[in-house]
Amino acid sequence: MGIFVQTLGFGIAAGAVISLGAVGFTVQFGISNVLNITYGAFMTLAAFLGYVLLNRGLDVWVVLVAVGVVIAIASAVFNRVFLSPLRGRGAGFVNLIIGTVAAAIILQGVIVIAAGPSAVTYGQQYGKTVSGAGLVFSLAQLIIISITVALMFGLHLLLTRTKVGRAMRATSTNRTVARACGIRTERIIDLTWLLTGFLCGAAGVALAVTTVTFDFSIGSTFLIYMIAASVLGGIGQPYGAMIGGLVVGITSQLGAAYWSPAYQDVVAFCILIAMLLIRPRGLFVAAGVNRRNLSAT
Amino acid sequence: MTGQTHPASHGRLRARTTAGKLALGTLAVLVLSLAAALGASAHRSAGTINAAVIAPFSGPAANLGKFISLSCYAAAEQVNGAGGVLGNQLGCTTVDDTGDPADAVPAVARALATSNISFASGLETNTAAVTVPLMNDAKVPFFTAAGLPAFDKTADQYFWRITPSDAQNGAAYAVWAKLKKYKSAAIVLQSNAGNDTAGPGIIRALKSLGIKITIKIDIPGEAASYASVVSRVKAKNPAVIITATDPQTAATFFSQYKQLNNGKVPPLITATASLTPDFFDAMTKVLGASFVTSNISLVGYHVAPSSAAFAAYKAGLASSSHVSPSDAKVVSGIGVIAGLYDGDIIMALAMTAANSSKGSDFNKFIPKVTTAGKGKVVVHTYAAGLAALKAKKQIDYVGTGGQIHFNQYHNSAGNFSATAFNTDGSPRLLSVFGAGLIANALK
Repeated sequence: MGIFVQTLGFGIAAGAVISLGAVGFTVQFGISNVLNITYGAFMTLAAFLGYVLLNRGLDVWVVLVAVGVVIAIASAVFNRVFLSPLRGRGAGFVNLIIGTVAAAIILQGVIVIAAGPSAVTYGQQYGKTVSGAGLVFSLAQLIIISITVALMFGLHLLLTRTKVGRAMRATSTNRTVARACGIRTERIIDLTWLLTGFLCGAAGVALAVTTVTFDFSIGSTFLIYMIAASVLGGIGQPYGAMIGGLVVGITSQLGAAYWSPAYQDVVAFCILIAMLLIRPRGLFVAAGVNRRNLSAT
Repeated sequence: MTGQTHPASHGRLRARTTAGKLALGTLAVLVLSLAAALGASAHRSAGTINAAVIAPFSGPAANLGKFISLSCYAAAEQVNGAGGVLGNQLGCTTVDDTGDPADAVPAVARALATSNISFASGLETNTAAVTVPLMNDAKVPFFTAAGLPAFDKTADQYFWRITPSDAQNGAAYAVWAKLKKYKSAAIVLQSNAGNDTAGPGIIRALKSLGIKITIKIDIPGEAASYASVVSRVKAKNPAVIITATDPQTAATFFSQYKQLNNGKVPPLITATASLTPDFFDAMTKVLGASFVTSNISLVGYHVAPSSAAFAAYKAGLASSSHVSPSDAKVVSGIGVIAGLYDGDIIMALAMTAANSSKGSDFNKFIPKVTTAGKGKVVVHTYAAGLAALKAKKQIDYVGTGGQIHFNQYHNSAGNFSATAFNTDGSPRLLSVFGAGLIANALK
């Protein structure tokens, strides 16, 4: 039982980082209807920007916010300069995905040119451990979990209690009707890319804090977990993605603890496939837990 | 209507133009083929002898490729400084196999078809299973850095290896653990081709030497968290951890170990392949310089830093414009890279002895220039070997790792050593132990 509880804690810590990234990814998809594969490359960029700022002596949490802002602007610009024109010229859903894949490869290549192929290290940040009730967390993990929860709560308030949030949900549901109702959908989409870009940047730095050392492949490696969390929760649903991230984190840690760490991802993805077979549209859509579906579908 | 062309004549003109283009294209291909054929024969009489360095030069393992290529550049300095091979300069051609077999096959096939390769080096573990047969079929002799035990008894005639197999490397970790008097060991290996074959060697040798294996666990590379695995390993309280991972994985794993074990990490035994700035920097940031310099032993193929061959190798590294001083410092501590340098020198001497740069001619001269024997002149450099061969004497090249003893499968396992890091990341020799100890441990 002790190992189980401890592993649960490890899974929550790993899942918090996945959740942070997955929520941004799924909200971005839900509102702008773009499955943005460049998201992983932006996370890598965030991790490297964080490395540069850390070496200038800034505190890691200041770095997380600063990098989040930079990636937010970069994401919004990316949407405006690249994706919006593509959409304007009639690029379909698949073409947009291919476009983001190409952009991800280019961005990753630029990062390798600028930073090299070698791994870089954040070092242990807030590594002191806190334990209780069989759970062990580092201070950094507790802060990341807190940041994730705070951002999720903030996102929840934004979507449910503000005019902008309602406009975002309306845009997500039907952009044409939203526009006819007087919502400036392009502005809403810009705002979405800013918001989700911030989450992407924060997730990139949080991930680098967790892994301690990383290279240019960090974002693309973890993108698959974020997509899995999004799909698990029901694509386009922020709350679903958050739970999905936790499920992926916990199952992979349980797989490592009770079976083999070499197959920890196999366990997580087997559960994903099983869930999809039972609830093809995702855990929360089928269960009807979350009525605030941001998906345009 | 003057000046206008009839549509039918347009069609004929297009047809004629297309036919013309095809003819020109065919001619161009023929000329290129002829030039290539002439080039293939010409390089044997004058010009450049091409040594291919087949290794990953892009992707996550790009540093490995860079380090492997330095052995060739050092050898080229030595060979060309002595006047070249058969009147030709030795040149190093890099072939990027990316560390992925799917990329390696077309890359090597293309290089074989277009680069007039006389011999090759590199062909490391991740891609050796596909690159070795290609080179052997093309009758191009090569020295490999691959430790796959599958090549311990190979029938490939153009295969040569003077560095240990992965099983022997694995046993060397265990022998060092025994020499350090550790009573128990945990084995934590990153899942990859090299470790898959080293693992059984470690287990067999640890059991044979009476060291308790507390846990043997394979971990995936670059995971976000190894907390569950760390929890399992530390629960067994090992006296030492035998590990082989990339720097990124090692830093994540051992930072979490330190966190979850009240700041304590047992001593580590790992491969000399980790004698890199990446590994040193990552582990120093995570575990501290004091731990890294006093509690990490790096075990692998031994080269003798005081030997004349090693002095020549270092001189080659120092004088090559392709090698930075910092890289020279790093690779001079990695035995496998020095072994590949020896391989390049041996190839050049074999060509000279055979008076041919054709693989099928000089391949059989490789053991002839490396086997000890009565009346043979022992040489440690290409220049000395060349001088002796010109004087019509038989030679025995003794390289950076000492005397070479090729068996019937073209393998020669040398000595092993344990090394530690200095505070600046450079290697510090701890101990040398013979291949006999490894062989006994594997019995």
